[in-house]
Amino acid sequence: MWVRRVSALARAAFCSQSGSPAGLSSASSPREEGGCREKVTLELLDHLEHLALVDFRDQEGVERLQKAIEFADQLHSINTDGIQPMDSVLEDRCLYLREDKVTEGNFAEELLKNANQTVEEYFVAPPGNIPLPQLEDRDTFLQKKKPEAEDLP
Amino acid sequence: MLRASLREISAALKEGQVSPVELCQKCLALVKATKFLNAYITVAEDTALKQAKASEKRYRQGQRLGDLDGIPIAMKDNFSTMGIETTCASNMLKGYIPPYNATVVQKLLDQGAILVGKTNLDEFAMGSGSTDGAFGPVRNPWSYSQQYREKCVRNSSMQNEDCSWLITGGSSGGSAAAVSSFTCFAALGSDTGGSTRNPASLCGVVGLKPTYGVVSRHGLIPLVNSMDVPGILTRCVDDAATILGALGGHDPKDSTTVQDPFHPFHLPSMTDMNNLCIGIPKEYNAPGLSSETLATWSKAAILFEKAGAKVVEVSLPHTCYSIVCYHVLCAAEVASNMARFDGLEYGHRSSADKSTEALYAATRREGFNDVVRGRILSGNYFLLKQNYESYFIKAQKVRRLIASDFAKVFSSGVDVLLTPTTLGPAVPYTEFIKEDNRTRSTQDDLFTQAANMAGLPAINVPSALSERGLPIGLQFIGRAFCELQLLNVAKWFEEHVQFPAIQLQGIMDPVDAVTQEEKSASFP
Amino acid sequence: MAAPTVSRCRSWFQTGSFGVRNVAQVRWRKSLVGASTLRGSASKTTAEKNCDAPWTAVVGLEIHAQICSNSKLFSGSQVKFAAPPNSLVSFFDASLPGTLPVLNRRCVEAAVTTGLALNCTINKKSLFDRKHYFYADLPAGYQITQQRLPVAVNGSLSYSLCVGKNQNEMVSRTARIRQIQLEQDSGKSLHDDARGQTLVDLNRAGVGLMEVVMEPDMCCGEEAAAAVRELQLILQAIGSSQANMAEGQLRVDANISVHHPGQPYGVRTEVKNINSARFLAKAIDYEIQRQVNELENGGTILNETRAFDFRLGCTIAMRDKEGKQDYRFMPEPNLPPLILYDAKSLPTRTCHHQVVNIDQLREKIPDLPSVKRAKLVERYGIQPLHSFTLVNEDGLMEFFETVVTATQMNPRKVIGWILKDMLGYLKQHNLVVEESPVSPLLLAELLNLLESGMISSSAAKQVLEIMWNGEGKSPALIVKEKKLELIQDQNELEHICRAVMDSHQKEVAEIKKGNQKVLNKLIGQVQRTTGGRSDPVSVKQILEKQLSLQPRKKTP
Repeated sequence: MWVRRVSALARAAFCSQSGSPAGLSSASSPREEGGCREKVTLELLDHLEHLALVDFRDQEGVERLQKAIEFADQLHSINTDGIQPMDSVLEDRCLYLREDKVTEGNFAEELLKNANQTVEEYFVAPPGNIPLPQLEDRDTFLQKKKPEAEDLP
Repeated sequence: MLRASLREISAALKEGQVSPVELCQKCLALVKATKFLNAYITVAEDTALKQAKASEKRYRQGQRLGDLDGIPIAMKDNFSTMGIETTCASNMLKGYIPPYNATVVQKLLDQGAILVGKTNLDEFAMGSGSTDGAFGPVRNPWSYSQQYREKCVRNSSMQNEDCSWLITGGSSGGSAAAVSSFTCFAALGSDTGGSTRNPASLCGVVGLKPTYGVVSRHGLIPLVNSMDVPGILTRCVDDAATILGALGGHDPKDSTTVQDPFHPFHLPSMTDMNNLCIGIPKEYNAPGLSSETLATWSKAAILFEKAGAKVVEVSLPHTCYSIVCYHVLCAAEVASNMARFDGLEYGHRSSADKSTEALYAATRREGFNDVVRGRILSGNYFLLKQNYESYFIKAQKVRRLIASDFAKVFSSGVDVLLTPTTLGPAVPYTEFIKEDNRTRSTQDDLFTQAANMAGLPAINVPSALSERGLPIGLQFIGRAFCELQLLNVAKWFEEHVQFPAIQLQGIMDPVDAVTQEEKSASFP
Repeated sequence: MAAPTVSRCRSWFQTGSFGVRNVAQVRWRKSLVGASTLRGSASKTTAEKNCDAPWTAVVGLEIHAQICSNSKLFSGSQVKFAAPPNSLVSFFDASLPGTLPVLNRRCVEAAVTTGLALNCTINKKSLFDRKHYFYADLPAGYQITQQRLPVAVNGSLSYSLCVGKNQNEMVSRTARIRQIQLEQDSGKSLHDDARGQTLVDLNRAGVGLMEVVMEPDMCCGEEAAAAVRELQLILQAIGSSQANMAEGQLRVDANISVHHPGQPYGVRTEVKNINSARFLAKAIDYEIQRQVNELENGGTILNETRAFDFRLGCTIAMRDKEGKQDYRFMPEPNLPPLILYDAKSLPTRTCHHQVVNIDQLREKIPDLPSVKRAKLVERYGIQPLHSFTLVNEDGLMEFFETVVTATQMNPRKVIGWILKDMLGYLKQHNLVVEESPVSPLLLAELLNLLESGMISSSAAKQVLEIMWNGEGKSPALIVKEKKLELIQDQNELEHICRAVMDSHQKEVAEIKKGNQKVLNKLIGQVQRTTGGRSDPVSVKQILEKQLSLQPRKKTP
């Protein structure tokens, strides 16, 4: 009996809502495509590079983001009216509280051992409060994109 | 000897049939012999032998710590191990030596287990092939198995590429390969979207993902904090239960472990299937599912039905959205979790020194691979003020839909769900890398991801060999905190399926040869 | 640029009622010294030339108070002010991968108690979030805070200001509190400009903070300073924070904007990390004036972060806000919701260590400063203004009460000695009450001598000055040694008075003419002759008696 059911399934479309999961990653409608590309402006890419301190190394990096956004856009077709967001599966459990005792410390040596550069017992960084240079002055792939801003695909 | 199960070897140690040092040495020798699998990033030879000697002393004094005393175990290289390099297969952490042990590591060591080494993975556990790490890809031991090779020869009319080596699946590929190739008796992996069950399926081993909150994540370098769990890879279900018994329970260092008391358990030898209800989610019959896997799945359902279990079709309607949902939540958490890698306190540090921001940017550019950087950027995109509501919150709502799908099914009388683990058996590396990491993950995580969304326990049990001689695994998903029931069912299935052991003659010859010689030597 | 003169806020509402915003019109007198404010007038348009149009300033404070606890908010490393660098740092504080936060119960209690003391609603369920930004002293790249659902909301802080010509009227104000949230402190970065590097010490990283976010209900530096002072006193009274600004336990960020009354609010700037009570009012007033000047000169205000340079006495732009900041808040996945209970909702099968009972905490709250002050006024009959000073000065209230208990002198007289003489000395020598060389019991002894008529008031002051040298001698001994006792012998006094009269015939004649005021001069002279050892009242009596013995010329 079960075998029959299974083979029937094999023939039927499987997901009642919006298409197959594997197919979710395939070509989206032209409208969605255009909409996504509108979102991915040079300004946005620059903003992300600043916030994440990670760069889009090449065009592939930019396309990766575009594809990621397109893929995520599929969420919008799902009806979530009246549904509460779920932070964690443990949302109904309450937080464990620790007693106010000193149980750790004096690890300076161990901690500093792992740091590439230290000065006496301090971690050391270059001068702070100097933001990443503007797009024009920065060595980033995005700089090369600028002249073709209007031609962005 | 190395082919024994954990229970068997534990008994042998107890009986004195083998010594911990001998066992350890054999494992280390096999690790060397199977180096081409690239399953290990770090082999902890010195510490392992030290631990083995200490174990031997305990045995001699009749003070064995427990079932795990003297047992060689491997750990995925995203578990912090004190004094032993922990890299997450990333340039960012090359040379990083944690000053503390992850709770699960400590628990195993406290039981006398021997840490053989740290296994290979996809960089920061991002991937489904164990191919995208800084130390290269892991090879599936089945690539060298007689079962596969024989089939290859038979089909020699096909191109040579078909006999090129196969991937292990991921991201805990190293751990799966280590267990599958007998270099250890159990291994720890991690499971965020299927990273333990997926390679377990492709490597023909048991891969258990416990309920979220049962096993401590303290010391597990996180991918997605709200979904990660330490995974257990073993050669049989009983062994998985043994390891779980040592690891489960509240950890005051991890606020996401539940405070309910945890009781280790032994699985009974026979379970009555009559009162069991197995659910078959219809949505898991997805396009892309190989016909062989589908057939194995059907056969399994029939097997249960014949044994007296009630087998029903159920629906988890939001299954197809779990991948998109995961995509957003995972990227967001990755963006957040990776923010700590700046080169100041540990890890790789760039030589750029104009400003702190420039240093951070250069360090992260040099330390992360494309996959990680891509997720960081897209994760930051989803977390932007203007996008937070429509992407992140939206994904969280979908998560609730997925979790409640399971809740509904389990409250309707279903005890355990039976599904495929992967779309099909392992594929050759050359074929795998044709698609990019994200696409592959999208396809391969399909059956495993939803259980992470809902925090449910799940286990892969090797079920059959494909026509080409490769393992096909099936997955059981259970109710939250009901590992006992889940493993009972899994064990019953395993016993009835009688999955064949991998035949790695040729590779194991050196080790076997030694065994013959040593057989005559007596254990003092 | 000279610091602008600031006129006092005049409030339209006296004794502000709770919940009503106090809006003060502020007329800013242009500094006549600073040429800058007048410089631009020639180039202004007609509309802008309306220099005398009133401006209203709006000030909202965000106050970070370090929680007084043994260990940090999410880890077990110690909370201590001075220690060798990076010695109070756990693996979690250093953000080693794989480490996880575990919440300190004491910090929760401190935050709840603070919320209760500030009339807040306590959220029985609150959540933790991650706030992302990169900085050398933030090893994880994010701070754990409570943005969505903090532990306490919707409270109020009542404080008082001195107003009036003689600054002797107390007026009450209220600032609303939007929320109180628990969050992590960051480490410290020390800028070593000489070697072009920043040294990072993470001892402070992860210490528990309570951020008190206030609505923009204040209008000037003085109000802000008074509010902060009151908050300090409250935190110290309930013990949730030592609130010592010098040790960085209390830090204030001020959001400031100006606008014309009736117009929408102006663009605000944030003046960050004001670490000294002294500079709080200055910094705020400077920024208000800066904004007024800027706008009146046709400029615009940028929504930026500024720091107060106390040496230059001005605010300077801190961070480049180009490429606006986005903290990308995200729920902290490693911390399930924080649940608090009250007497009605106590869980049955949970270990009591895991339960924070709001009602229990409420019962434990000691007298808050406002209550202390009210009790002082009621118990001792002193003026409200005086009760403020007593409570404001650390230890002074206890000092006063000890003295009052040990002396017969009326508390209303004692207060004068405490506030004028004792406090005067302390301030002069830059000491706190604890460090006073004169103990309350010694002072009480002195006041008893005065009260019993053994010495005069001026003699008492002399004795106090000697006591201040800190030798610990009893006042009675000092009086004896310096021979400061009031002359009790009536005859001797009469003798001295007669002698003074004899040597001051001119003055005597004046008095007899009817000029009574000159009598005081004679009394003063007697005082001087006796070295302060005569009681002015008795002397006056004697002199009057002696003067009346002299025959009066009959006026025709």
